[in-house]
Amino acid sequence: MSETIGSPTTTTTTSAEIILRIKDLHTYFYTDIGISKALNGVTFDIPSRKVLGIVGESGCGKSVTALSCMRLLPRSAKIPKGEITFFRHKKNGNGSAAPVEEVDLLKLDTMSQEIRNIRGAELAMIFQEPMSSLNPSYTIGDQIGEAIILHQNVDKAEAENRTIKILDQVGMSNPKAMVKRFPHELSGGMRQRAMIAMGLSCNPSVLFADEPTTALDVTTEAQILDLMRDLQAQLGMTIVFITHNLGVVAQMCDSVAVMYLGRIVEQASIEPIFYNPKHPYTKALLNSIPHAGSREHKRLLPIRGVVPDPYSSIKGCPFHPRCNSFMPGKCDVNVPATVTVDNGHTVRCFLYSDEVEQQ
Amino acid sequence: MIDPVIAQSGDDVLLEVKDLKKYFPVRGGFIKKGVGTVKAVDGLNLFVKKGETLGLVGESGCGKTTAGRTIMRLMEPTGGTIRFNDPKQGWVNLEKMNRQQMRAIRPNMQIIFQDPFSSLDPRMTVFRIVSEPLVINKVASGQELNDRVAELLRVVGLRPEYMSRYPHAFSGGQRQRIGIARALALNPKLIVCDEPVSALDVSIQAQVINLLEDLQHDFKLTYLFVAHDLSVVEHISNRVAVMYVGRLVELAKTDDLYYTPQHPYTEALMAAVPKPDPHMRDRPIKLPGEVASAIKPPSGCYFHPRCRYAKDICSTEDPPLKMVRPEHWSACHFAGELNLRGIVPTN
Repeated sequence: MSETIGSPTTTTTTSAEIILRIKDLHTYFYTDIGISKALNGVTFDIPSRKVLGIVGESGCGKSVTALSCMRLLPRSAKIPKGEITFFRHKKNGNGSAAPVEEVDLLKLDTMSQEIRNIRGAELAMIFQEPMSSLNPSYTIGDQIGEAIILHQNVDKAEAENRTIKILDQVGMSNPKAMVKRFPHELSGGMRQRAMIAMGLSCNPSVLFADEPTTALDVTTEAQILDLMRDLQAQLGMTIVFITHNLGVVAQMCDSVAVMYLGRIVEQASIEPIFYNPKHPYTKALLNSIPHAGSREHKRLLPIRGVVPDPYSSIKGCPFHPRCNSFMPGKCDVNVPATVTVDNGHTVRCFLYSDEVEQQ
Repeated sequence: MIDPVIAQSGDDVLLEVKDLKKYFPVRGGFIKKGVGTVKAVDGLNLFVKKGETLGLVGESGCGKTTAGRTIMRLMEPTGGTIRFNDPKQGWVNLEKMNRQQMRAIRPNMQIIFQDPFSSLDPRMTVFRIVSEPLVINKVASGQELNDRVAELLRVVGLRPEYMSRYPHAFSGGQRQRIGIARALALNPKLIVCDEPVSALDVSIQAQVINLLEDLQHDFKLTYLFVAHDLSVVEHISNRVAVMYVGRLVELAKTDDLYYTPQHPYTEALMAAVPKPDPHMRDRPIKLPGEVASAIKPPSGCYFHPRCRYAKDICSTEDPPLKMVRPEHWSACHFAGELNLRGIVPTN
């Protein structure tokens, strides 16, 4: 963890715009059948008060990135290398700008009081499946209230009042009755709203939303997305929106990071990603989905092959076996470095620069 | 009154479903007595033309999967008629057939399931899975059977050398191809595709969709494509039927339905489709409340408690299917009078 290039100390001017800085993050899973390199050098900044989308297919490491930041990885996972800096804005009562404290999240013990103070209160997460991430034996009110009691130093009655307020905010009808309900008594959309309420309960600076609408019907999904957009604008939160659905990304995000096999292959603001994508994988993803409303019947252009299994190691650029722009002798030898092609638009591909990533 | 959706059993029609009903009893209490009925499919009307793809869409619990399975007689219908234009026997009423008679029809109608993991027996090799329909119907044996399975695997883009492997050795997309090979084995006319790509990754989805399109072209197949992903359905379907709480609410050619919907529920669906274009950010149409219960549906039009155009008549009278335009039917009292928004066409 002794990286020198662009270390966080030189960034006091930008720290107002960046809330999390992830540098060269490696997360490995040690399992019985080998080492699965889930993250292989992930580097990116999460801009403050914006919605950043992380897209990619299953197994590309998008959820692991969020879990690494939350320090919620299972025991089998280790982080051998990397840095996650959290630019912590202390909340002080009079509203004046407090100095920004830099916290290296990876230096904290996963069980320490400090990470517990951050987790839930400043970095929160909502999960994909509301049914399996809510506890079936506690009421909705108890589960949301738990975080409030832990982090905000209030009694049970006050916690319930605040819970009712948040449930109302996320568009739950009749929130007073809802706090007494158990998860099985709610519909999928209502459960997801409860999950969002739980994530928002302590007004976090960053909300990781891991496929929050994937299990929902399309009309419910649209309403949840609309709600999250409104709350984001109202509360000035940062949302990291993890999804495989490019439609949802287009509707929701200000900027996008595209991941493939444990690396970020392209990052840019929303428009260049959709209208001027650079990386062959981003282009291929956009060509492989049907576009609602297109008048002529265009044949879909699938990406050939399958996502390789995470235990295999591919020499060179991990996408080269499936890439249409594959350059023999180049892409299968070295890993391309991340280069900037345009203001705020970075890409990791030899089509744009010959720069090789230093191992 | 004669239902306008029903074609005149013409030669260009392969399947005709009229007033199809499938109810499930709800049991409760200590002695498990019946306490109600789930009307999963409650009077569905549609027809499928030869060689076309009819998309059947709706949200979870609307009865689209049950409809597909009841049409296949994998579930016994509670009521209604299912007429199939069999190439040998001509028009037959599937709901009246016994097991023996169904066996003669089955080779012509097959199904592809959603989950490529649970729809293949893990203890059977790919050869046994794909050859089973051929063996049961005594179509081929010995070397001929072997050749036929190899051919089927090639057709769906798998290598015949893999036929002695077990399903666990294949990825999700490959398993779905095995399921497709099994469905193709007996040269069917109609294939019910029950969410065939929803369990697959984006890039693999496109491979399977293209395969289904190629097979349809090469073998002159007819698809009843049951799915919830409206973008996929738009891409693959010639016509689309929309279901809400067990009923058909709208049926039209794909472009007509997507660009100029004639039912308020379809309008809400179209506004909710997440378009992969940041310049097309729509505010969704707010649908108050929850999807109506199939156990105790509301009076009149099932959609009226959530409909922003609802008037008094909607809560009292059940709207019949009306032909709004040629080949465009909608079950709304005000179909044709409302100015509904669809998806904005792009090129």
